[in-house]
Amino acid sequence: MKKLLTLTLALLLVAGFVFAVGKQEAAAPTVLKCAFIGGANYEELYKEIPKWEAKTGMKVEIVYKGDGFQIDKKLKTDFAAGAVDYDVCWDHSSFFTQYIKADGIVPLDDYFSADELKDFIPMILNSGKRDGKLWIVPRHFDISCLHYRTDLFQDFGLTVPETWDEFKSTALKVQPNLQPGVYATEFAGKEEALTGRFYEVSTCEGAEFFDKNWKPGFNAPGGVKAATMFRDLYKAGAMPPGTTSFVWEDVAKNWVAGNIVMYTEWYGWYSYFQDPSASKVAGLFDIVRQPKGDAGVHGGWAGQHSFSITKASQQKDTAADFIKFITSIESQTVEANLGFLVTRNSVWDKIIADAKAAGNPLDVKRLELAQFQAVNDFRTPPLVAEWLPASDIFWPIMQGIILGDKTPKQGLDEAAAKVEAMMKDRGYY
Amino acid sequence: MGPKEKQKKEKQKHSSVVLEERRLPIFLLLPAAALIIFVIAFPMIYSLYLSFTNFTLVSQSAPKFVGFRNYMLLFQDSVFLPALGRTVLYIMITVNVELVLGLFIANAMSHVVRGQGILRTILMMPMMFAPILVGFQFKWIFNDQVGLVNNILFEIFQKPVIIPWLIQKPHGFITILVAEIWMSTPFMVIIFLAGILSISPDIIDAAEVDGTTEWQKFSHVIVPSVAPFIYIALAVRSLDVARAYDLVSIMTGGGPAHRTELIWTYVYRLAFTSQNFAIGSAMSYITVLIAIAFTFYFFRQLIKTRKVRGV
Repeated sequence: MKKLLTLTLALLLVAGFVFAVGKQEAAAPTVLKCAFIGGANYEELYKEIPKWEAKTGMKVEIVYKGDGFQIDKKLKTDFAAGAVDYDVCWDHSSFFTQYIKADGIVPLDDYFSADELKDFIPMILNSGKRDGKLWIVPRHFDISCLHYRTDLFQDFGLTVPETWDEFKSTALKVQPNLQPGVYATEFAGKEEALTGRFYEVSTCEGAEFFDKNWKPGFNAPGGVKAATMFRDLYKAGAMPPGTTSFVWEDVAKNWVAGNIVMYTEWYGWYSYFQDPSASKVAGLFDIVRQPKGDAGVHGGWAGQHSFSITKASQQKDTAADFIKFITSIESQTVEANLGFLVTRNSVWDKIIADAKAAGNPLDVKRLELAQFQAVNDFRTPPLVAEWLPASDIFWPIMQGIILGDKTPKQGLDEAAAKVEAMMKDRGYY
Repeated sequence: MGPKEKQKKEKQKHSSVVLEERRLPIFLLLPAAALIIFVIAFPMIYSLYLSFTNFTLVSQSAPKFVGFRNYMLLFQDSVFLPALGRTVLYIMITVNVELVLGLFIANAMSHVVRGQGILRTILMMPMMFAPILVGFQFKWIFNDQVGLVNNILFEIFQKPVIIPWLIQKPHGFITILVAEIWMSTPFMVIIFLAGILSISPDIIDAAEVDGTTEWQKFSHVIVPSVAPFIYIALAVRSLDVARAYDLVSIMTGGGPAHRTELIWTYVYRLAFTSQNFAIGSAMSYITVLIAIAFTFYFFRQLIKTRKVRGV
């Protein structure tokens, strides 16, 4: 009896072991984990994911969703803590250099052939390269153009500005004629949004944010001229008093409320602006290419939302296959129909043809202008991991310039000294 | 076995029971203590260690020990010292205003005979909102274009009044003070009301027999009697305000141009956006020291008061 019991126990042990090994062999990953940007319009694309799941038999689990800055914080902290449990992550042309430095993402050249990438707009695709390697695959991009109120321009006999000097003089000229609460122009006045707009205008005026040795160059005369424009417009009351507390939503709300005559804005808001139930300016505005500065350069601060593969991923081929699907012509068509500026030339050809067939001239102009700017003006912030730290030093000082706490030259010199100290501390020189 | 041996054995048995009884609470507390060490002490020690390194969120190499460099850099930082001073001022103003308001409101409420329960519940409502919500609420109230305050001013003066409350100096700082005081005064009221209600009616009666005025009764009887409650409330609130982040972050984000910058809004930006975790940690520890100093002072006052009052 005792022997029988021992034998049974031994058999059970062996069976258990075999079962466990069998389970282990069968436990090849079937789930692809992702950390993505969230928000209503961004998430429409994720509804396409079941098609890839059906094709591959994999399951996609979105383990995190947050806005751009939330997900940036998550990625940085996860990479630093070695706590990455996802294969594919949202990425951005302004941020990806940080993740390279943190050793959190991998180059994608081995996973994407030249043939697979040839349909992407070259200027945008190249903005995801660093040290000759491709790190991000573009999903959609955005760039700004000048929005202006056709009715008010006609009423006040204004000419559409082609340079930043004309922009400033037009704003100063029209402001005294406007009703209280209506302003000639506005800008987002804090965080990276302010740094970016300054970067855009100062580049047009001939200043570099960083020179080739990563020394700050924004306090050059072109930078001072750009900062002076912001300061003068605010001082003259040609911008809302609350400008330095505005981010993107705030400026867009002021515009749709009919309180702004002209300003520079991303294309992505277009459907909101043209929705008569939400916007007082629907049908009352036009768009043109961003003004240019003394350097003959047109404004073109731009960025692309994109996808990367994490270094921690154990299934990089599958992750790459998923990115190919989520940036495919079919997926990009879904996003293009939502108003996003997608990154594949073939999709552009189709949506411009569709817009022409629909017959709204501004829809067509918007697409053609955006495509033109993508090819000619697309300019990311400096591709360096210290862009955000530099911006964090810069924008509060720029706010001080706008509010008159310091002169443009004083402020920019102070910011340049601080940014240089930070870059030195990070080992750049 | 002789009686002495028996007594010795009894004593040994007794002492082992006592020892057992003493060990039991320690044994029972061990899991909680281990958990606290794991979730509180370990991260604190680790962040203290990081504050002495060159660690950034994007550095690939292991953190290098840099001694007190981060602490020295902080004192050369033109933003840090004003932010530190502003944080101390923020604590002092909010806590003192809350103290005064709390005492008056609690005293007034102690006179309410009917409906005190309902009144207490209504009064506690601001405490029920998350600081983030309070931040959004006051951001709207003080918004220069659509805000409640400017709209009221418009109604009064019958012309557009566009005061950028969240932008101008010193309005921006005042708005975050107002929001914090609105949110937390009820806490003071509840504590002080409990203190006032615990005063023996004999003391109040004796004061009234002596012919004191309402003000004399309040300042010479009620306030000294609730002194221990005051110090406890001050200690708790000082610690609380020293951690102020959510509300300020939503309302002003520390700006514009650092005008409303408090330590924690600056720490967050330095540590997460600017990637500089080490300096962020160093700054956090300085704030912790300030909070400890406030708490230490208030508890010393509390002990002193209790000694004087013999309680």
